[in-house]
Amino acid sequence: MRKMTMPDAHVSHPNVTPLIDIVMCLIIFFMLVAKIGVSTGAEAMDIPASIWGTDIKDMGNTLTLNVRPGAVEEPQVTALVKANGTGEARPTELKLRDPATGQNQLLNTLKMYRKQNDQFKVIIRGEADMPYRFLEPVLVACADANVRNVNFNTKKISERTGG
Amino acid sequence: MKIKGAKAVHYDSGPNMTPLVDVVMVILIFLMLAGSFGGVEHYLVSPTPVTKTGGGANKSLVPDDVQYTITVDSPQGFGDRFVAHAGDLATSDMAKLTDALTRKRKEFNAAGTSTEKVLVFIDPGRTVKYKFLIDVYQAALQAEFTKVSFRPAH
Repeated sequence: MRKMTMPDAHVSHPNVTPLIDIVMCLIIFFMLVAKIGVSTGAEAMDIPASIWGTDIKDMGNTLTLNVRPGAVEEPQVTALVKANGTGEARPTELKLRDPATGQNQLLNTLKMYRKQNDQFKVIIRGEADMPYRFLEPVLVACADANVRNVNFNTKKISERTGG
Repeated sequence: MKIKGAKAVHYDSGPNMTPLVDVVMVILIFLMLAGSFGGVEHYLVSPTPVTKTGGGANKSLVPDDVQYTITVDSPQGFGDRFVAHAGDLATSDMAKLTDALTRKRKEFNAAGTSTEKVLVFIDPGRTVKYKFLIDVYQAALQAEFTKVSFRPAH
């Protein structure tokens, strides 16, 4: 008589292939949409909010100016500036009146960028509670440098929340 | 004596996928944390940032543009308030300001002046906060004016 034996127990492992497919899709998605290591010189500050606004696709022709109220009646303006318009950009404070030379560093920088690039744009990031008297000299410098396009960076809010 | 019959059935489990899943999950978590996404900020564009008295330095300003001024002031001692004056209207309600500007734009259009020929100036006081100017700027954009600029502080 043939002896009947129990068949070997076989634990079926879950099929992980679809999981890997989904995870790989997610990785590719995040690699494409995330901006890692791209610095525009924008500093953390409480900027105003607006419902309307446009997005800037090409940030290559822009210079971001961070404007804050200064110690005296002059604004404190910082930006990521390339020396002579070439090379590595470094965070720089652009004084409206350099105490040593008396020059307007902000105006000189804007003129330098404008001379090199006809499509040069300025992005202004200002503290929401900053009085206009601190923003005005920056706008005047932009006008003097013949900057044709000034963009005010704002937080995006929906019409429902209203900020 | 144990007689072995046919070969035992062997299920081929394939390569071990667990380390691959671990590595992929770590990469995914890194990208989720390290990446920063757009969509939380945008920009209000001003083609002519500011003009000085007498025409300004910006060569793109067309001399025969029709100018319309919105004056913005903060009452003395009340830095957290503002009043926008557009024609006969004096308000801090942006909805009312937008309606007034829209009516004004339609008046210009009805009179034969296209929106591209109208330059809206925002004339702020020295103490008006930047966020209020952005609200006024946005009201002008919502009224479909395309050229909005700032004057030096009065």
